[in-house]
Amino acid sequence: MSVDQTITAVEAQAPPRHRVRLPLAGMIGAAIVAFWVVVAIIGPYIAPHDVGALVDDGFGPLRWGQPLGSDYLGRDVLSRILVGARYSIGVAAAATFLAILMGGTLGMLAAVSRGLVDMMLSRFFDGLISIPSKMSALIVVAALGSSIPVLIVTIAVIFTPGAFRIWRALAVNVNALDFVEVARARGEGTGYLIREEILPNIAGPVLTDFGLRFVFAVLLLSSLSFLGLGVQPPNADWGSLVRENMNGLAEAAAAVIVPALAIAILTIGVNLLIDNLPGRGSSAGEH
Amino acid sequence: MNLAVLRLVLVRIATAILTLAFVSAAVFAGTEILPGDVAEAVLGQNATPEAIEGLRQALHLDAPAYVRYFLWLGALLSGDPGRSLVNNLPVAGLIASRLPNSLMLAGVTAVVSVPIALTLGILSAIWRGSLFDRVASFLTMSVVAVPEFLIATLCVIIFAVHLHWFPALSYADGIVSLHQFFRVFALPVFTLSCMLIAQMMRMTRAAVIDTLRSSYIEMAVLKGAQPMRVALIHALPNAIGPIANAVALSLSFLLGGVVIVEIIFNYPGLARVLVDAVSVRDMPLVQACVMIFCATYLFLVMLADIAGVLSNPRLRH
Amino acid sequence: MNSDSRMPLIGSRDKLCLAKMLRGSATRRDVINMLMAAGMSAAAAGTIASFAETAHAQTPRGGGKIRVVGGLSSAVETLDPAKGYIAVDWCRGRMFYSGLTVLDETLTPQLALAEEVASSERATVWNIKLRRDVRFHDGSPLTSADVVYSLRRPRNPALGSGIRIFAEQMEEITASGPHEVRIRLSGPNVDLPVILAAAGVVGFLIVKDGTTDFRTANGTGPYKCAEFRPGVRSIAVRNTEYFKEGRPYLDEIEMFGIADELARVNALLSGEVHLISGITPRSTQQIASVPNLALFETKGGGYHPLVLRLDREPGSNRDFVLAVKHLLNREQIRRAVYRNFAVIANDQPIDPTSPFYDPGLPQRPFDLDKARFHLQRSGFANQTFPMVVSPAATNSEEIAQLVQQTGGQIGLKFNLQRVPGDGYWTSHWMKHPIFFGNVLPKASPDIIFTQIFQSQAVWNQSGFRNERFDKLLLQARAEADTSKRREMYGEMQRLVHEDSGECIPVFASTLDAHVSKLKGLRPIPVGPMMGYNYAENVWLDQ
Repeated sequence: MSVDQTITAVEAQAPPRHRVRLPLAGMIGAAIVAFWVVVAIIGPYIAPHDVGALVDDGFGPLRWGQPLGSDYLGRDVLSRILVGARYSIGVAAAATFLAILMGGTLGMLAAVSRGLVDMMLSRFFDGLISIPSKMSALIVVAALGSSIPVLIVTIAVIFTPGAFRIWRALAVNVNALDFVEVARARGEGTGYLIREEILPNIAGPVLTDFGLRFVFAVLLLSSLSFLGLGVQPPNADWGSLVRENMNGLAEAAAAVIVPALAIAILTIGVNLLIDNLPGRGSSAGEH
Repeated sequence: MNLAVLRLVLVRIATAILTLAFVSAAVFAGTEILPGDVAEAVLGQNATPEAIEGLRQALHLDAPAYVRYFLWLGALLSGDPGRSLVNNLPVAGLIASRLPNSLMLAGVTAVVSVPIALTLGILSAIWRGSLFDRVASFLTMSVVAVPEFLIATLCVIIFAVHLHWFPALSYADGIVSLHQFFRVFALPVFTLSCMLIAQMMRMTRAAVIDTLRSSYIEMAVLKGAQPMRVALIHALPNAIGPIANAVALSLSFLLGGVVIVEIIFNYPGLARVLVDAVSVRDMPLVQACVMIFCATYLFLVMLADIAGVLSNPRLRH
Repeated sequence: MNSDSRMPLIGSRDKLCLAKMLRGSATRRDVINMLMAAGMSAAAAGTIASFAETAHAQTPRGGGKIRVVGGLSSAVETLDPAKGYIAVDWCRGRMFYSGLTVLDETLTPQLALAEEVASSERATVWNIKLRRDVRFHDGSPLTSADVVYSLRRPRNPALGSGIRIFAEQMEEITASGPHEVRIRLSGPNVDLPVILAAAGVVGFLIVKDGTTDFRTANGTGPYKCAEFRPGVRSIAVRNTEYFKEGRPYLDEIEMFGIADELARVNALLSGEVHLISGITPRSTQQIASVPNLALFETKGGGYHPLVLRLDREPGSNRDFVLAVKHLLNREQIRRAVYRNFAVIANDQPIDPTSPFYDPGLPQRPFDLDKARFHLQRSGFANQTFPMVVSPAATNSEEIAQLVQQTGGQIGLKFNLQRVPGDGYWTSHWMKHPIFFGNVLPKASPDIIFTQIFQSQAVWNQSGFRNERFDKLLLQARAEADTSKRREMYGEMQRLVHEDSGECIPVFASTLDAHVSKLKGLRPIPVGPMMGYNYAENVWLDQ
């Protein structure tokens, strides 16, 4: 259930002021995100060492060759963070998109259809939230084996009920407004209502949801890797790097703190960018 | 009370029963699909085929799945959640000794984190774009991005191992004084608050900003009302629905989603029971926990919806 | 009745002698010589002599209360001694119950509830005399009926006991008198006293006749159960009527499990608990740096093998197996993964603490040239093989990553596949061509060979089949002469070393940590915390 707390966090996200240009905060956010995306792409090529190669005896000190020291087995921490970037960023982003695609579509469908369809879908997702996520993850591994696509789909499925609730709540508000009623009276179909009337009017708040959900996806990765889903050793996502080096907090703090910092910086970057996106909420003016 | 609320409560109770039935069936199917059953899980590396067979028969695992499900359901409806398949102790007893602890931890965390989150959220909304708003956002987002096992462990190392202010392990029972109570709950509650405040705070901020922009608030501002007064008297009541929803969801998380905190502080709550029970495929125990978590979730969401209905004049009738 | 073997195997006469030497002016060398004369390996004798020295140095004090933390916790912990499945269960078993025999530091069975254990008919029929001064915690005296009930109980398949296979060897268990029990085995086995003491993990512990309710414990052990809440804690209070004179020392032991290692270590560092189990080598440095804490290392025969199925490709190719065995950089594994808390192993499961360890078997070296040679001959060069690792198989990920690295140097690629710890033993273990196992220390060569290497063994991980080996196993069981048994076990070690698919890099020590003022811990190589038997041995130096 850990992933669903954010569900309504942005249900009523305010449409920010109209902006033509990216403000300073937004530019900082964009720079951070761009930086990590570049790292994710070129990480393996600029890593000074092989992710699996032993450079010393474990929890080694910071040195010129290993500016962040070595991890519990004696591998270069910097290289592992550089290579881990593509897992943390890529998988989390893909899974969050997918969750929003599935949850969002069904959420809008429920809102537009109302009545029985709405109730059935809502209760179904309420129920889904109550199924222990450890159990769902284990079932997925057992049934589908382990690969990056399976990992992405699993995270997406875990996040879908949350996305559903937000999109539905937002869409219900818009659905009650006059211009939707007018369109409905014109005899427009459900597909048209969703595409042309609802979607443009809730795009803003939903972006903020994406930001929070993305953080939780990054954090969830490490628990799922631990269950054997997805990222396989010697590669590891950032959360797993934190987890596997926890014993070194006293001796080699960098091996724990730096991957954690990487997650935090990425999180702040993504949310700064989203909060300050130009034109954010411009469509919401139709409210 | 009014009719809308009454109707909502009745409909929700009726659908809650259906939802619980659906969840119990899904969870049962889940335990069936999962590779390995309780016999194999308990015997672990000691599992010989005949030992497994013997244990399966003894636990009636050789009966068809639907028969076992309805036997369990029947017993539950007559008030008996069964016995643990592993240690044969009554499930009711195992749960009863843990549930109060879970409720206590959730309660204390709620009492601490909800006011902080709401205050931060409302102030951020009033002073949106200010330094305060940015710092509050920055801090809460940084904290929520740190894995909870790292926050909990750092807390223990700093406050228990080095400073000796608080115990590293939190025993829920044997608390006699307020001082003791504070010592026991300080670290787990702090850790959990770090995880929850960000979402509730951002939610509150967003909801209040949203209502601050509506036309009647603009009227109030034009009439010369103080910004603080406008926010608290005019905007906040209309934002209660979404805020209540966020709070309810956070609280439901506090019951079942706090496994790592329970493990690191050795706090005897229910979340760990569920994880243990899933590991050993102890179906009655899994079901009992899931039913409690699901019912709590539905109850909290219902309360939030009632709050939403009562605070919103358009939905009240 | 002709007795052809008597218990204990290192006789009480020798023990008496040892005690005398220690009280007198005997040097460490004398003790070692005496023990070696009694037929023990030099390494084992050395260890026991130093235990004897330290044990002699201080007299235990009574009183005090400690908190002990096991490495796992579960909502389904149990007080049923035949069913325990995690460390806290086994420790509680040893606190609240007693067995007929118990293992000492040299893995030699000593008498506990039994006063005499004697065999006849080539170790097929065993007569056990019980002590007459033993009472259960509820006050009732120990009788043969209790023993018969407790030994028979694990046979019931409905119980799901892990020691059922051992219970089934006891074909006939009868009370031959109020304090005498007669056991007829399905075949000769001179190791019965060891099995009684340590089958599974804690052996056969004696419960009251007819007991089926295990909400609390009614045993004959050193502590009485004052509180038991599974997954929360147990409180044990001193049994003042314990049958061992002067024991136990402590007034109270609170015990629980914490699954997170760092949380256990922090609880110890903050001074809230006194003894913790399940320390990983990675935490040792932190503990060693604190002055009032001590590490407690138990060397033993536990190991984490890389297993190649001999009945599947590529393990069915003998050269491939040899290539992998030469590919193990045992020194590196010992250093990087175990932080030197391990002993280099030689692809066979008998470790140097065992009296039956054969030091004459040449050590297989880390030799890339030989590995390359065998790999070329196997025809599997430059191919990629999946290697299954899991959190359930201790250290498997770490070892696999090191093997993956060295393999890359000779063109042997491994593709690591991490599978969930949950369900590993039923869904993955032994079901892939290349995977990892986790073998706990075993009390005797017979137990480990029977469980894992005999052709018919259910847990024959690598699918090792060898007729000669099977024959030797049965012969050794019936052989009362220790030196002849040692010869047989030596040959069996060689057979496994050469032909089994188990690549055993090192024997891992188990590590516990405790506050320095907790005294009396001595390694018993069947597991951590004195083979889970710390409770009656430890005392507080206050």
